[in-house]
Formats: sequence, C-alpha cells, structure tokens
Amino acid sequence: MTDARSLEARILDYLTSKLAQGHAHTLVDVQRIAVGWSHETWLFDLVWQESGVTQRRGFCLRRDPGNALLRHLSSLGEQFRVLKALEQTALPTPAAYWYESDPAILDAPFLIMEKVAGSCPNPWGRDGRAFYAAAAARGRLPASFTTTLATLHTLDWRAAGLDFLGVPTLGTDFARREIAKWRALIEVSEHPPEPILIDLIGYLEANAPPVTRVTLVHGAYRTGNLLIDDDRISAVLDWELQCLGDPLYDVAYVLSDLNREGTPLLSNLVPRDEFMRDYEAATGIVIDVDVCRYYDALYAMRSVAFWMSASGLYASGRSQDIRLARTAWSVPVVLERAARQLGY
Amino acid sequence: MDEAELLERIATLVKQDIAPAVEADYPRTQAFMTAVVLHKLARQLSVREVHRAADASDVARLAAELAPAAQAVPEAVANAMAALTMPPAAAALSALVATLYAARDELGDERFAAILGRVRQTLRAQIDRRLEYAA
Repeated sequence: MTDARSLEARILDYLTSKLAQGHAHTLVDVQRIAVGWSHETWLFDLVWQESGVTQRRGFCLRRDPGNALLRHLSSLGEQFRVLKALEQTALPTPAAYWYESDPAILDAPFLIMEKVAGSCPNPWGRDGRAFYAAAAARGRLPASFTTTLATLHTLDWRAAGLDFLGVPTLGTDFARREIAKWRALIEVSEHPPEPILIDLIGYLEANAPPVTRVTLVHGAYRTGNLLIDDDRISAVLDWELQCLGDPLYDVAYVLSDLNREGTPLLSNLVPRDEFMRDYEAATGIVIDVDVCRYYDALYAMRSVAFWMSASGLYASGRSQDIRLARTAWSVPVVLERAARQLGY
Repeated sequence: MDEAELLERIATLVKQDIAPAVEADYPRTQAFMTAVVLHKLARQLSVREVHRAADASDVARLAAELAPAAQAVPEAVANAMAALTMPPAAAALSALVATLYAARDELGDERFAAILGRVRQTLRAQIDRRLEYAA
C-alpha cells in the first residue's frame, strides 16, 4: 500500500529508525538533483540534538523509479554491493549505508550513502567548461583525475570481493561479454533493424582484442561522473556500468572525443600526452591505441544501445519523459559516427 | 499548410512563448524538449518522400550491381542479395550484412571486402540523408 505522507517525512522516519541516537531529528537542505537518466538522486542533511549539541550529517539517496534507462542492467542493489566493497580500498567513493528493496518504505527500492564534499560540474555546460578549463590551468585536478583512474585499475578487486561482477577469462571473453550485454539491450528495445549497427557488431565480433589482465572497470570514467573538492577527485560516482575486464576499456573512454567539447583536453581537463605518460607510469599498463580504437567502436555500439533503449521506453509508454523521445534522433547520429570508425 | 510546416510553427511557439513561461525546472525542460522533438519531426516529415525515393533507388542500384556476383557466392549470401528488393529495405540490408559476416571464411577476405564495401556505399548515402534531420 502506498504511504500518502510526503517522501521527505518517510525518509526522516527511516533515518531516525536507523540512527537511534539523539532526538528532534529534521531534514534540511533537501534537493532533488535534476541530472541523470537512470535513478532519482536526492541530497539532504539530517540535523538532530544529542547531549545538548546540534549534530548534522549529509546523505545522498538514490531511488529506482522502475522505468529508467539501463533498468535491465543497473540495479541499486548491485550499486550498493559495489560501494560497500570499495569502502575497503583506496579509491575515493561515498560510504554506502543502507539499501532497501522493499517498495513499501519509499515506494521504490533505494539506497542511502554518504554525501561527500565537493561539486560535479557538468562538462557540457558553459559554466562547467569554464570550471574545467581553469582547473586544467592550475594542474592539480588533471593529476588527480589520472591518479584516481590508476587507483581504480590497480586495486585488488578479488580482495575487495568484487568478483560477483563476473570474472571474464583471459582472451577475448571480455569484449564478447560486452557485445552480448549491449546486444541484449538492443533486442529488448524492439527498435527496427539498423544495417550499420549489424556491420558494427560484425566488426566488433571479428576483431575482439585479447585481454591479458583483468581489473575493475568503471565504464563511464569522465568529468561529470567525478565529484571534485579543492582541485582533487573526492569521490568516483555513477557506479552503474562497472564490470571486471580490460582497463583499456576505461582508458579508451578517457581518450574518446565523445567526452570533450571544444578543447583538445581529455574530459575537458587533461592533456592527452600527460594522461598517457602518467597513467602508464602509475599502473605499469601500456596503452595500446589500436585496442583503444576498438573499444571506442564498442562504445558506439553501447551508445546505440542506450538510445534505442531510451527511445523504446518512451515509445512503449513506460516513460513519459520526453527527453527519451528525443533520443530516437540520437541513434542515426551515433550510427554515422560508427560508420566513420569502420572507414566509411 | 502542410504537416511539416504546422509542426515547425508549433515547435517555435513552444520554444519561444510557452517553455520560457514555465517556472518549475522539470516541466520547463520537458517543454523545451517538446519543441526540439517537434522541430525534428517537422524536418523529418519535410524530407520523407525525397529520402524514401532516394533510398529505394540506391537499394535497387545496389541489388542490380550485386546480381552478377550472386553466381559465385555461398547460397545464403546469394539469397540475401536477391532479397534486397523486398521491403523493408533496412531489414534486407541488415540481413545481407549479417550474412556476409557469417560467410566471411567461405567468401574469402577479398570478396568479402569488395561486397561489403559496395553495401557500405549505400549505407553511407542513407545515413547522410538521415543526418539532414537528426543531427
């Protein structure tokens, strides 16, 4: 049965039940962040009285609306497990507190995690581009960007208990798993056939690169998915596409021109040569640009899958968000890019 | 007034007069995006018949040019070539591309590349036309 009280009141009840100490709990600075196409994200502070002192603690809540993009591939339950596992590592991530799958509490599954200090400027907006340009000039943030990715790729994922993500065998298994994952999303979208996509998939299957090392892979490592505080990465966010696999998959994403706008700086932030030099030095992993080019083509397949899925959600009536309808026209744009990547 | 012109006018109205007057973030974004969708629909409608004719002509030419090669390719490829003239063209082209990859070993690299290269010319022309309204 749906609880008619406000979401805010129910969040407060939930937090109060979890944090037994103190009294006079209130939620302040509640804001829904209007970004992202997957889960709803809310930020707020809990304030309470304890031993005559006012206490304050920040939280971030993510709730699954049930009809979001990547619904088939990204669950809050898995995000929670990943964040819990990463708490033991050197990678900066928000501490994960609670996950509830029971929709009776807040109408939908949700997780609550730490609100980490920092901001996450949008790299596509004018203000965001100016922010990253200024940070690039100062130099500390670009170094933090590269170091943090190196940390992600060198952490001991077995010791952290991340093998539940699925461990690919060495060889071409990783790329084949990714192709299969995105093919499945394309199939459920019920989009009409696209011959360029068939060509792209044929190329990808025929040219899957062998993997000689398996690391944690974020899947969308770029500015906009990284929280920044005082010119350093304070938290890696958006744990929706992670897997175990080839670290060059993330490197290719960093190198891709998809993730910069009006600047040669990678992710609007890092000089390419500097990134490649520092990343190789920090990880001991040699960047094979041909393999990265292959993964860039794989990202084109992934993008097509995203947009077909998104526009399919709208077309089927499962979502009323007209931004998803707009993505129907993103499909040919990405297919054109794929055709160029295939040499035509 | 034709359909495309009507949609374009509505898109302009939503973008210039309606969306800016909406105060709340979410509905304002939805209103602006509605204008974008209507604009793209209008553009797509305005070129639909021209594109449809060009696509059909390109596929017919492709089928004709590939026909002589049908004698010397695996049966599955020959069948996919023959099916090119059967609508919908996107499905027929997709099937041909998939069949080419599946038969690559039998075809040999040179013939595979030659046939796929010719198919890609048609795909390139089609995607260029779609970008006229999608980009």
